[in-house]
Amino acid sequence: MNTYMQNFTKYLKTKANIAEPDFQLLIKKVEFRNIEKGEILLRPGEVCKHSFFVENGLLRSYTVDDAGKEHIIQFGSENWIVSDRSSAFFNEPSDLFIDAIEDTKVVLISSDFLNEASEISASFRNYNQIALQNHIRHQQKRINLLLSASAERRYMNFIKLYPDLTLRVPQWMIASYLGITPESLSRVRKELAHKNFKPN
Amino acid sequence: MNIKNIEIVVAPREPHYVGDGFRVHNFIPSGYRLDMERMDPFILLDYNSPFYFPPTDKPRGVSVHPHRGFETVTIAYQGKVAHHDSSGNSGVIGVGDVQWMTAASGILHKEYHEEKFSKEGGYFQMAQLWVNLPAKYKMSAPKYQGITNSQINKYQLEDNKGVVEVIAGNYNNVAGAASTFSPVNMLNARLEEGGKADFSFPATYNTALLVVAGEINVNGTQTVAENHFVLFENEGEDFNIEATKKSIVLILSGEPLNEPIAAQGPFVMNTREEIAQAIRDYNLGKFGYLEE
Repeated sequence: MNTYMQNFTKYLKTKANIAEPDFQLLIKKVEFRNIEKGEILLRPGEVCKHSFFVENGLLRSYTVDDAGKEHIIQFGSENWIVSDRSSAFFNEPSDLFIDAIEDTKVVLISSDFLNEASEISASFRNYNQIALQNHIRHQQKRINLLLSASAERRYMNFIKLYPDLTLRVPQWMIASYLGITPESLSRVRKELAHKNFKPN
Repeated sequence: MNIKNIEIVVAPREPHYVGDGFRVHNFIPSGYRLDMERMDPFILLDYNSPFYFPPTDKPRGVSVHPHRGFETVTIAYQGKVAHHDSSGNSGVIGVGDVQWMTAASGILHKEYHEEKFSKEGGYFQMAQLWVNLPAKYKMSAPKYQGITNSQINKYQLEDNKGVVEVIAGNYNNVAGAASTFSPVNMLNARLEEGGKADFSFPATYNTALLVVAGEINVNGTQTVAENHFVLFENEGEDFNIEATKKSIVLILSGEPLNEPIAAQGPFVMNTREEIAQAIRDYNLGKFGYLEE
């Protein structure tokens, strides 16, 4: 089973520093799934029952406005966790879609798993606490960028956070994540090329 | 005669789409035992077996994408494809033509079915190869060779039973049309039924063939059907083919570079750090710009 969950195993053992006996107990409580490109894991109105740890592949969370336009909240590639944390924690309906942009292998983490892991392992409890604080920090920065930053700054921030996604997702999805039009994204990339392209 | 035997015959995998214009069977690197290290310097082979595309006003193809560290070679058997790149090169290749693009330090390009072909629809059949570059040329300037069929030298086979087109390298003292950065032989044998051709390459070269059309017999021992790929052993030098039906055979033989390979998506370099650098450079516009 563990060969299917190499990254998740590393996440528990190395990052969350879970001891071997606890790991053996906990690994039995997660579920592994192959998700096909386009498959929807969460719809608005549903309560989010799981966090999705991405073994490999690519997920995204997004909303759809009244005009039918998609607004991407988050991308999740290898080793990222995609979820609606508040829906899961408060047991309330989500506003989000979560779906797969590529064929994706995910580990399904339930709230029960998180509770149990926190109970039996102090180091996991600490790690999860820091992860939550990181999540809040990231959300705050993202709100600030969306409210105040230029299209170029938003793009520069994006390529730092997700270096290889420019090769994996279409331009319109990146524009949607950045809250700018595809035309603005194209202009930013053109200006960067103008500044940085030095033919040899 | 020091016979070069077949190591393995590989059947085509299920096709997948590259963009919406190329319906390809991948042989290298995902085919059984056809990984980049084994096939070095041929690091990718996608084969679009004959496929009918209905008429459309919006040309099908692959939108703007980058490459660094290798060369892309497109060989057209049916249909026409148009190319544009960030170095300002563009061109259309049609039946029998070859496009040899050296991405080297970095290029953006797009490839679409040619406009008139798209409007009329028709059968499309192409092979695309990625040929790896030696480390010392990976960051050299990009280059484009649009090679028409009339520019490709041909060796006439016995009894007028066919020709061998020398795309690159050498065949019986006929020189290839394309310039290469390491020893590469790339040949198209177009054989009538009963046509025969002999080949000889150094044992150390990685050598293979693809039956693009028809059916052949290799070394008088093994029949190989259309769309099948043959990898030869790295022992012996000489092999022969005989067309049991009218055939087209793509023959590849190259000296292995024997350098480390780090590959991710459209970049093939020698180290992971060079891949990370390629991604950073691409994101920062250092490959230039090309309109969608």
